[in-house]
Amino acid sequence: MKKFRFVVFFIFSLIQFVSAQSDSTITVSFVAHYNGKNVDLSDSSFVANDSNHLQIDALRFYVSNICFLKNGTVVLPEKNSFHLIDASNKNSQTLSIKNTNKINFDELSFSLGIDSTTNVSGAMGADLDPTKGMYWTWQSGYINFKLEGKSNNCPTRNHAFEFHLGGYQTPFNCLKTATLKTTNQKIIIVVFDINQFLSVVDLSTLNQIMSPSKTAVLLSEQAIKSFKIIDP
Amino acid sequence: MKIKTVLFFCFCFVLFAFQLATEKPFVVPKGWPKPTYDFSKNPLNENTIELGRTLFYEPMLSRNNIVSCASCHSQYTAFTHVDHALSHGIEDKIGTRNSPALINLAWQQFFMWDGAVNHLDVQALAPIANPVEMDENISNVVKITTLKTLPNAFLQAFGDSVVTGEHTLKALSQFMLTLVSHNSKYDSVMRKEAVFTSQENNGYLLFKKNCASCHTEPLFTNNEFKSNGLPIDTTLNDYGRFGITKNAKDSLKFKVPSLRNIEFSYPYMHDGRFKKLSEVLKHYTTGALHNQALSKELQNPIVLNANERVDIVAFLLTLTDRSFLFNPNFSYPKNLFSTQRRIKKSSASITLTNIIKNEL
Ligand code: HEC
Ligand code: HEC
Repeated sequence: MKKFRFVVFFIFSLIQFVSAQSDSTITVSFVAHYNGKNVDLSDSSFVANDSNHLQIDALRFYVSNICFLKNGTVVLPEKNSFHLIDASNKNSQTLSIKNTNKINFDELSFSLGIDSTTNVSGAMGADLDPTKGMYWTWQSGYINFKLEGKSNNCPTRNHAFEFHLGGYQTPFNCLKTATLKTTNQKIIIVVFDINQFLSVVDLSTLNQIMSPSKTAVLLSEQAIKSFKIIDP
Repeated sequence: MKIKTVLFFCFCFVLFAFQLATEKPFVVPKGWPKPTYDFSKNPLNENTIELGRTLFYEPMLSRNNIVSCASCHSQYTAFTHVDHALSHGIEDKIGTRNSPALINLAWQQFFMWDGAVNHLDVQALAPIANPVEMDENISNVVKITTLKTLPNAFLQAFGDSVVTGEHTLKALSQFMLTLVSHNSKYDSVMRKEAVFTSQENNGYLLFKKNCASCHTEPLFTNNEFKSNGLPIDTTLNDYGRFGITKNAKDSLKFKVPSLRNIEFSYPYMHDGRFKKLSEVLKHYTTGALHNQALSKELQNPIVLNANERVDIVAFLLTLTDRSFLFNPNFSYPKNLFSTQRRIKKSSASITLTNIIKNEL
């Protein structure tokens, strides 16, 4: 019986030990901005007060392979790092990453989208579950990034635009990686700047991307350039 | 006393775990290549195979609760669409391609005539979403399955009663992976348990000379994309693999289909343009094989006289595998769709399904 009690005590202290470590977590948040305003789609679409009546209805993207670097070398990679960020779902926008050994870093790197190996590995769960609406059905592959909305500049039905970026096979591989400097060690806020993304897009001629293509690759390059870190 | 209780629970847990894992290792027929499918990510077990079979025959996977996978992939025709050149889906809408036979999928790397699908697990997403096939949405399928039918089956299959897209798809894969055909007369001859007639034997020799470069034994496909010279049907303008890779070299190339059970999987080719094997043979031998993409294996014209063509057809008929076509493990799962469940579905629950669907 004494042994049994000892085991219980041991397990208990182990739990204590593990939970004591948990305050060394790095919180990484992904938010979207348009004209400096927070684009929050939790309750409704975002409508900008500008001349084109830009409206954002959906913004969702995969962030994968998150790593922290020091002097250019990876010091802390996140394991099994696949996150679906959705501007209409607050919970999805904040990630907690364990830094048990309190490792110091000066850069954050992540990829926008899903790598080619994962793309050919069949059905997967959690954020990669194909029910998440980020998988093409008629042709296999994840949609890395979705931006949908309306603008008076679009000559389309209901002035709608839809950018579904993805594709994992050369020459249309859309996976792009960002490496951003950061001084913060605990709370990191990454902004996706919609203005910057749309700055290369003439919505009157380019308003529908629904499959892997050269344009999807170019837009993915622009998308990755539109991420920046701001101070909390 | 307490320790005994703990032990008892441990014992129960182990027992439960065993019940989950009635593992059923995939058997590779002797002399066959290693399967392409990675079974370590989705190890076969009997409960999951059975669940996949139920889903395969489940019409609730379609918007109007009428079309199931089996509607276009019927066992008695080697899991292709009975006698339809282009497949018929929901509300009799007609697709753009002939439904392929589902045979030996574990060895296949690409799916669909143009290889649009890269893994068996994600194959089912295509017909479920296609507006002319099942016109449903995988999220709805998952919600309906959760609410209505099979959480218990999911618990037995995956140790988790939460129905997810991943598990739905993996169950369907498991059933389809069991669709192995390796008991034709040809296989018996190869195993030295039977002999070809002289006509079949002559056909086999001609086949090896003229056809096996693409329709390679023992699977009767080399799993590549090739053009066999079919002129384009201008009502469909289907350029095959080109549509996926956008590479001009892939224009008019299609996945080389297996020829196992070919006797039953008519009509033939991606658009079902030929009804009879004799027409196929005529195609390969008339020298009228010209599209600019014609693959190198067919650059030298195939010369066969009428008798030789008949001999090849006689050989192709030895690829018929009755133990596959009539395997009770592949057929409509009567026990799973008990009368009780059917009655339930046709009265109260069908409206429930519709309500759920309308709410989504
Ligand atoms: C309306 C008819 C229809 C229905 C319903 C249907 N399929 Fe198919 N299936 C097809 C056609 C047509 C193709 C070929 C399409 C192409 O090449 O573009 C196909 C291709 C396939 C393939 C690829 C085979 C190969 O050799 O490449 C598999 C596997 C498959 N279907 C499984 C399923 C499953 C599982 C379901 C149910 C979820 C299903 N099908 C429902 C018509 C159908
Ligand atoms: C260059 C490679 C190649 C060679 C050689 C070849 N085939 Fe084919 N075969 C194909 C391709 C590719 C298809 C599918 C074409 C399509 O649907 O567009 C096909 C389709 C078929 C089909 C229809 C299968 C189905 O399920 O619809 C039959 C039957 C067939 N071939 C028999 C033969 C015979 C018999 C020979 C030898 C005389 C032969 N093939 C030689 C590539 C080849």
